[in-house]
Amino acid sequence: MSGEPLRDPGVDQAAISDEGLLDAHERALGRQHHEDGARYRLLPIGILFVLSGLVLFAGTYLNRYTGHYSALVFNENAKPSMNMAPKVDPLAVGRAQFKAVCITCHQESGLGLPGIYPPLAGSEWANGPADRVVRIVLYGLKGPVHVAGKEFSATAMPVFGQVPGSAYNWSDEKIAAVLTFVRQEWGNKAPAITADEVSAIRKAVGARKEMTEAELLEVK
Amino acid sequence: MTSEHSPNDAASRWPILMLLLAGSVWLVVSGVLGIIASVQVHTPVFLSGCPLLTHGRVSALAETSFVYGWLANAGLGLALWVLGRLAGEPLRAQNWALIGTAFWNIGVAVALAGVATGDATGFALLGLPRYVQLEMIFSYAAVALPGILAWSGRLRRVSFASHWYAAAALFLFPWLLSVAHVVLFALPPRGVVQAIAAGWYAQGAWTLWLAPLFLSVAYYVVAKTTGRALPSYEFAALGFWCLVFVGGLTGGRHLVGGPVPAWISAVAVVSSALLSFHVIVVVLNLRGAATAPGVSAKFVAFGIAAYALGAGADAATSFLGVAVKTEFTYFDEALRQLALYGAATAVFLGGIYFAVPRITGKAWLSGRLVRAHLLLTFAGVVLLVGSLVVASLVQIPDLLDAKVPFAQITRETRPWLLGVTGALGILLAGNIALLVNFYATACEILNLSKPAAFEAPAAAETHAS
Repeated sequence: MSGEPLRDPGVDQAAISDEGLLDAHERALGRQHHEDGARYRLLPIGILFVLSGLVLFAGTYLNRYTGHYSALVFNENAKPSMNMAPKVDPLAVGRAQFKAVCITCHQESGLGLPGIYPPLAGSEWANGPADRVVRIVLYGLKGPVHVAGKEFSATAMPVFGQVPGSAYNWSDEKIAAVLTFVRQEWGNKAPAITADEVSAIRKAVGARKEMTEAELLEVK
Repeated sequence: MTSEHSPNDAASRWPILMLLLAGSVWLVVSGVLGIIASVQVHTPVFLSGCPLLTHGRVSALAETSFVYGWLANAGLGLALWVLGRLAGEPLRAQNWALIGTAFWNIGVAVALAGVATGDATGFALLGLPRYVQLEMIFSYAAVALPGILAWSGRLRRVSFASHWYAAAALFLFPWLLSVAHVVLFALPPRGVVQAIAAGWYAQGAWTLWLAPLFLSVAYYVVAKTTGRALPSYEFAALGFWCLVFVGGLTGGRHLVGGPVPAWISAVAVVSSALLSFHVIVVVLNLRGAATAPGVSAKFVAFGIAAYALGAGADAATSFLGVAVKTEFTYFDEALRQLALYGAATAVFLGGIYFAVPRITGKAWLSGRLVRAHLLLTFAGVVLLVGSLVVASLVQIPDLLDAKVPFAQITRETRPWLLGVTGALGILLAGNIALLVNFYATACEILNLSKPAAFEAPAAAETHAS
């Protein structure tokens, strides 16, 4: 405080006032969008590279060592494998598929529309042999069909399977799931259908046009 | 040469002085406790007959008084000062801060009594017994209130990096402690979830509370002493948000290899690595501290160097392959001391040496003691961290070898643990120098006939150029 304030460690000099400090940093940030334009400064390339490198590392590490964020994987080094894929409930998948697509014609009640779309609830087809319903969904159905004593001929069932001319290309798993759902909903009580059964039929039958009622009835 | 600061500093001096003085007292108290704890590591009979000072309790006492006594008080005091200064007007709601400070420190005292009589919680960085936690959350909020008001009611719309870090620390600590209180004490979960929650709090207390507090001080002191806009300042905001987003995700840092789901530790490893971006930005911004004039800037430069070194080492040792060797050794302790002492304490000391002459209007009574404190702090931290690192290097290969008896490891590390005790003694001597200087200065302003009269020390401030 006395003669030589500059050398006195009792008080450290401030080289700028608080106002000046705020001004200087406001200017430092404002440089980018100055009125005269075209003074935009690119991020210095070094920082950009460092940040990109860190993000790349982070993504790679998380992908490799988190065990798919499973609460049951305790070893960072566990190899991600097929059995770590979560088990799915075919009924839930089937319900989701039904509500996304089938519901347009067959309705939420599964009763269809009288005279236009045939019902699934209590239908002798839906509850019938697995070989028949799988073919209907895989290849579609054209021409008149009789369900619960009534004839439906106004519309056709589209092709769903992964076969030539298919509008949907549903996997065998999806078809099995939706059929399992249909066969256990609305009081239906037919056994579940597995993806393997669907694959077997698809491979055995191969490519073909839509089924007809007569052809289906030949399938036992 | 006139000073622009006088009315504001003089008008808001009491809460800040009270916080800083309380912090300095706790710093010396924790220094004494820390020495007792470190002596017990190499000479276990020391005070072993006294149940209040057995090793487990005395080390928890040292940590609690250091973190909640020294770091919290000093950090809050300096954050309030910086926010008040940048606001351009005296602090509002000062009575809240005064009452909050009193209750916060009563809380610390009760917590220490509780820990000494066996109520410590056993969680790292959260030794506070359950019954003081709520009281301390409310006290903290009361102390923080003037800071928040100074931030939200600042005269100019523009904000500076110190604003962001200080405001973040003021808001985040009550969140951290209240969540920890609910999760660990009010509705304690069973098993491993407890360790995850405790790890989250301990990492969060560092990355989201103490680090932002000392960074707000560091940005302010460096900008003031260098007198120019900080270099690469356009990245400062990126560095800040990096810390805020990623800091809390480092919670599983010390659970690596433990019985927790792998993703928790993997996320912590990645977060520790991502934090290095934040550290790079801080170092780029504050590199001027190394050449800035004055004792305060030296303290801050040392603190930032320690912060960068510690963050790098922390990221490197978080990987599973390294962590299996360093976890539970003196290396962890070395990193902890590098962070709490080398980084946070050094910056807070620099902040105190910068702020108090302006707050009181008096220069430090003894410039020699200030210089001595600087040297003792540098020497003490280097010796402390160095001894712990060497001790860990001696210890690690032996611990991994099942044939080496534990007593032999203890014998081999003993010389370095004596070094730790010596380093803590050096640091304590420096901190006593601060307390003496502080006490003398405080006495002088208390003796003033007109306490409100403020005389700026010559050349404390210059005009904006």
